[in-house]
Amino acid sequence: MGAVIVEAMAFESIDALEAALREASYLPERGLSTALFLGLTLEKPLLLEGEAGVGKTEAAKALAVATSARLIRLQCYEGLDVAHAVYEWNYSRQLLHIRAAQEGTVSEQELFGPDFLIRRPLLEAIESDDPVVLLIDEIDRADDEFEAFLLEVLSDFQITIPELGTVTARRRPAVVLTSNRTRELHDALKRRCLFHWIGHPSLEREIEIVALRVPGIPERLAAQAAAFVQGLRQLDLAKPPGVAETIDWAQALAALGRDELDARTVEETLGSVLKYHEDFAAVRDAALLSLVEEARAVAAAS
Amino acid sequence: MTFGRVLREAGLEVGPGRIADALTGLDRVGLAGRDDVYWTLRTTLVSRVEDVESFDRAFAAWFLASPRRPVYRVRTRDPSSSLAGDRRVDAPPVGQASGDDPTGVGWSSHEVLRRKDFASMTPEEFAQAARVLAEVARRRPLRRSRRLRPDPRGRSLDLRRLARRSLARGGEPIERTFRRRVEVPRKLVVLCDVSGSMESYTRALLLFLHAIVGSGPRVEVFAFGTRLIRLTDDFRTRDPELALAAAATRVVDWASGTRIGASLKTFNDVWGRRALTRGAVVVIVSDGWERQDSALVTREMARLRRAAYAVVWVNPLKGSPEYQPLAAGMRAALPYVDRFVAGHNLASLEELASVLVGIERRHAA
Repeated sequence: MGAVIVEAMAFESIDALEAALREASYLPERGLSTALFLGLTLEKPLLLEGEAGVGKTEAAKALAVATSARLIRLQCYEGLDVAHAVYEWNYSRQLLHIRAAQEGTVSEQELFGPDFLIRRPLLEAIESDDPVVLLIDEIDRADDEFEAFLLEVLSDFQITIPELGTVTARRRPAVVLTSNRTRELHDALKRRCLFHWIGHPSLEREIEIVALRVPGIPERLAAQAAAFVQGLRQLDLAKPPGVAETIDWAQALAALGRDELDARTVEETLGSVLKYHEDFAAVRDAALLSLVEEARAVAAAS
Repeated sequence: MTFGRVLREAGLEVGPGRIADALTGLDRVGLAGRDDVYWTLRTTLVSRVEDVESFDRAFAAWFLASPRRPVYRVRTRDPSSSLAGDRRVDAPPVGQASGDDPTGVGWSSHEVLRRKDFASMTPEEFAQAARVLAEVARRRPLRRSRRLRPDPRGRSLDLRRLARRSLARGGEPIERTFRRRVEVPRKLVVLCDVSGSMESYTRALLLFLHAIVGSGPRVEVFAFGTRLIRLTDDFRTRDPELALAAAATRVVDWASGTRIGASLKTFNDVWGRRALTRGAVVVIVSDGWERQDSALVTREMARLRRAAYAVVWVNPLKGSPEYQPLAAGMRAALPYVDRFVAGHNLASLEELASVLVGIERRHAA
């Protein structure tokens, strides 16, 4: 294996990284940019946790854009195994190859060579010579066995294929793991990772995010929508809306051509913010009017 | 470095590797911005959200020299706990009764024991019962996994092995290899009422739960009285007495009032949102005496029911022949319950175990 490529994807300072992320249409809080910065400089995997819709996956995507790296994503699910995460042999091709050779003999070496290998995300990320951001999404959904395997990969950045030998990363991918905390991850895995909890953004930040992600939205509408969602989060809801919902909703409002929030518009479009019927009903029947008033007042003040 | 010790004292797990990361990180980030220092230390030293609060306090106390001291984790013992109570003194330790073969329980006495209400058992009988409990708990509902194992009677072709074996036969797939889906234990979540009205059954039920946790992965156990507490980690230890003692120190409201609705809500909010409930068999053990709001029980049961694979309610009072579900909480919950079983004696817990194994999802109405 060739020499390790040392030229890292790291940035000079947190501010430089923040600027690059902003360029990629992502506005991180200071804590998140510090965490991403440390992940790059210390070359350690970063574990991101947080409520659904706060932008965990988006953070990894933005990081890839900001570092001009390729994003390789491994979506985890229960029962995910090596054949879907690392590599698999292309069996139909192998069988065809054997048939085609007919009388001549086919050596095992030929059959289990690189030509017949299907590369899955983990192998692809490790083999790549170009900079890569490896996103291991919703790691909590994979089973324990896979987590143990991943631990091995993340400590050595190498993968052994019995038929071919060991593949070692020449350039360590920047690794981002996300978890929704459906279960507690193993301590060993956590010990390998830096950790950051993404919370809901502040009002000012959320307004900025909406303005950035929904181009052309009237300033006042952006502020009111953000303030309204912030108000919703104070309520006792089954599923408080995340930034992703705010953006969806703002897009809907902008598409309707509104430039201000009023009770009727909110009632018509609330479905893109509240995804549970009880939440929807509770807000519509009780809190809607006062929330609209409040959002208008807050937005006017900011 | 000293800060690391402060954190450890505050209850955070901070290894030398993390300290090294923190120092390197600080070196790269610089010490100028207080925020940056804070975030650097937090990212490198904290690995669970639950620890953030302790970290913040320690950080404030240490770096900002604020007068607030880090709060130390205090483990209080509750002497009035019904768990560590009188029974424990008399009863021989479960599982290691000297020379007493667990299978030596004669059938007839076994049968009597099976039917006897936990509330009226003597300590000796209880020790015997505890052993049977452990047996019963071993059976778990299964779920088909996406994983495949080689199986000659399987349905899908195992191409990997097929290709390999064909090699020897010049590419003729003579020997066909198959795989089939593996069955794995379905997620099981148990919420156990430990309030005053349940007192005579709590110990037996918790022993049962401990045995279930020992039956394999994917089990979560919670206790509730006035508030919900997760016991899964305490129950991981093998020795049932140790596990119960650990639980006793954690649960502060043994034998007090019940807030079923509020506890279910906490469960749905905190754990349900993390999708713990999804696809799980949820077992609620309670007599349904809700002190407060039965409308809340209705609402939260509905939420639980939608996410869960099936909901089983275990009510020890149901063992009595003249039982009627009169308690307000019970009446509110029943429409959302797939199976309603007793659980007041061994026989009924055996029944519970077989209900759990055979449970099917009730078709959405």
